Amino acid sequence: MAGVNYYDLRHVTGQVTHIDIDNGVVESAGTSFFNKAVLRVLDRTGWGILQIDNYTPCTGRKFDELIVSAQKLARITEQPVELGEVPHGILPVPPMKEDPRTVSIEEKSSLLAGIEDAARHPLVTNRRANYIERIEQVRFEDSSGSEYRYEICRSGFNVLAVASRNGNVQMGYEREHTIHGFDLRHRQESGKKAADTAVALLDAGAVKGGKMRAVLDPELAGVFAHEAVGHASEGDLIQEGNSVLKGRTGEKIGGEILTIVDDPSLHEFGFCPVDAEGTAVVRTEIISRGVISAFLHCRESLAAVGNGIAGHARAMPGEPPLVRMSNTFIENGDATREEIFSECRNGIFLAGSRGGQVDPGRGIFQFNAEYGYLVENGECTKMIRDVSLSGEILSTLHSITLCGNDRKMSPGYCGKGGQSVPVSDGAPHVLLLDAVVGGHGVD
Amino acid sequence: MAWIDDLIREGEKSVDEVEVFYVEGTSVSADLKQKKVNLATTSRDCGLGIRTIHKGRIGSSSTNDPARWRDCLAAAVASGHLATPQAWNGLPEPAPLPASPLSFDPSLVCDPAICRDLLAQMLEGASGHTAEVTAGSAALSVSTATLANSHGIRYGGQYSGASLSLEAIERQSTGYEFDHVCFMEDLNPHRVGEQAAFFASRSADGKDIPTGDYPVVLSPIAYAELLGNVLVPALNGRSVHSGRSRLAPLVGQTIADPRICMYDDPLRPRAAGSTWWDAEGTPTRRTDFIRDGVLLGFAYDLKTAYRYGKESTGSAVRGGFGGLPAIGHHNFIVDGERDDILDERIVYVHNVVGAHTANPMSGDFSVELSNAFWMEDGKFEEPIRSAMMSGNVFDMHKEIAGLSRESRAVGSLILPSVKLNKQHIIGK
Repeated sequence: MAGVNYYDLRHVTGQVTHIDIDNGVVESAGTSFFNKAVLRVLDRTGWGILQIDNYTPCTGRKFDELIVSAQKLARITEQPVELGEVPHGILPVPPMKEDPRTVSIEEKSSLLAGIEDAARHPLVTNRRANYIERIEQVRFEDSSGSEYRYEICRSGFNVLAVASRNGNVQMGYEREHTIHGFDLRHRQESGKKAADTAVALLDAGAVKGGKMRAVLDPELAGVFAHEAVGHASEGDLIQEGNSVLKGRTGEKIGGEILTIVDDPSLHEFGFCPVDAEGTAVVRTEIISRGVISAFLHCRESLAAVGNGIAGHARAMPGEPPLVRMSNTFIENGDATREEIFSECRNGIFLAGSRGGQVDPGRGIFQFNAEYGYLVENGECTKMIRDVSLSGEILSTLHSITLCGNDRKMSPGYCGKGGQSVPVSDGAPHVLLLDAVVGGHGVD
Repeated sequence: MAWIDDLIREGEKSVDEVEVFYVEGTSVSADLKQKKVNLATTSRDCGLGIRTIHKGRIGSSSTNDPARWRDCLAAAVASGHLATPQAWNGLPEPAPLPASPLSFDPSLVCDPAICRDLLAQMLEGASGHTAEVTAGSAALSVSTATLANSHGIRYGGQYSGASLSLEAIERQSTGYEFDHVCFMEDLNPHRVGEQAAFFASRSADGKDIPTGDYPVVLSPIAYAELLGNVLVPALNGRSVHSGRSRLAPLVGQTIADPRICMYDDPLRPRAAGSTWWDAEGTPTRRTDFIRDGVLLGFAYDLKTAYRYGKESTGSAVRGGFGGLPAIGHHNFIVDGERDDILDERIVYVHNVVGAHTANPMSGDFSVELSNAFWMEDGKFEEPIRSAMMSGNVFDMHKEIAGLSRESRAVGSLILPSVKLNKQHIIGK
């Protein structure tokens, strides 16, 4: 095709099964299905992209017509785009222990009801449990002749308990999502835990805002890695000039103990057998022993920026790929949990996450813990609720002074550019000096 | 679309009632990478959502492939077998509603060259400030929707939309502005570009602020973030009746400053959410939630209304293409007595980071400020480098000290700036 430097097509078909149980009532349950494709054509000066619903694979003249329509779109683009040279290849999707398709929706519904029922408590006014199972068949091909196919199933559940007393309303929330197969059996403990958290929070105090020492649990420290470092290392943001990490490769921004990694090849919830541009996925050390080591890239940002590794392009079905994280974590250190609390001495312990947000250009991030405890003389004492932390990317990493040896990953979803993709975040317990904690409690 | 009638007839063989929602749309967009157009995209989307109701059991399914309507119908019927039966008095009957669309611009054309021109006008607007543009987007879309049910409803709707956004940076200070309108003539790309670059430039070299309580004005954007994540969901009838809303026991009580009114106005001409009928075919009308600070009631769809002996407020909406109906709002409006709220020295907060992490049950929040300034007599004075603001969204409404004269649309919310006499700010 004249002028076409490159094209790729990513076609995803699949189905989503969901069950929603609210206070013992099956509100809705069932299956929906979809078929979406995205065709990207790189013309002389930029991309022309077609998003196509109900794509029927085609070849010859029909396919050429699609290429020409995308090419026409690209006429308004203004700057030549180079694509970096990348290794191709696909990893096998790990086999599932139990394929959810072999379990009837009636059985799924009854197992989910068991989890929801386990959240019963005299002070719990609402129990809600959701099951979600998403199966995608992905087919990728590009103009260089690369072609990949794979199928992946992600499934899991959330359970929410709301406790209420004299106008004080608090919540507990548990979630489990996995690529390893059906995971609703023997999970009632999650319902009980959500209820226990919600009820305990009724008696929790509000923290007084200010600077203090904080111990973060693995889930929250994982969100910290995602918000404080992950987004700012995304190659498209670096290319746009919208990240404080731009031009800082080789700079030391944290202590020797701090290594932060994004690894799409890891068999966690953010696993990608191949990225959304057909690039082979590999472990990428963003921060190595405190030093900025590699940015996360797609092919375009790799060519434009360098200093990093491609294989981090991800997309929702039918959407153009963006540079994204997958499984992001702080590597284990060698401190024990006891050492971390004893070193903290007086401060706060924060656990669980309600998410976070970052402004990568400004270098400022915020994230929120579900609950925590005051730490007094190295011991957890009074429970506290609604604790947010904010920090500055270029200075906060130095204040991580201890990393535990108990890394754990937690599944979730990450939003960027209107697209939401499955990810996991994780870390060991870490100690953060001079954490800026938001709160409006009083002494 | 004869297949929709076939679908309903086929469904009625096994269930009492069938509802079909079908939407088709086209959109085009162009994105900037710094100051150059980097990509152009078109999309053709369709979505089919089917609900079946049989002896109080509601089934549903959806697909983006209308050719597979038989599979989708079978999946909806099967889904109904699992649902817990509930009180149900039928889908709506047809009502005589105006056919003219409320928010459709027939002159809006999905042309990539128009997107390119809009981007150029934003860049022109930004060029008056020293900040660098990092990214931007212009998107145009049109869609048509059809709602049909077993009682003979065959409603059609047409929608149009234009969206702009621009991001800019000056050293370590960022600025962002956006707009979404239904009519091309309401679009002001120059202003969007100018504002994004203004906030990036004007916020550079900010100073820290000591921890304390301050008089604060939240811009409509910052206010919308807090309102939309906490208070709006607490007005959802389903959340209220199932024990997920702090507002549940407070009907008839004063929950906000007496100058505050909040309502959904689905019939507001030119507004993005305007519609004559809701997602289930219930004719829409204004729904008052808070009047003069007093909580009056909540939003209902048919399912929740039938279950709890209420009336649907016409508040069913659909999320995305082919999404199934759920309680929401069309144009959520905060109104009340307007005033000059910028007449003293205040902290002006243009935006916040992390509002979605607010506790939706208790209303407690602590967020990072974004583009915050000391402001005097309405003039931007020193920028504030970085600070957090903590409070409670519900309690905050009792402390509102004024609403600005101007409102703006932020997503589906239309709201003024609000002044709060004492907000807790945590300095660094």
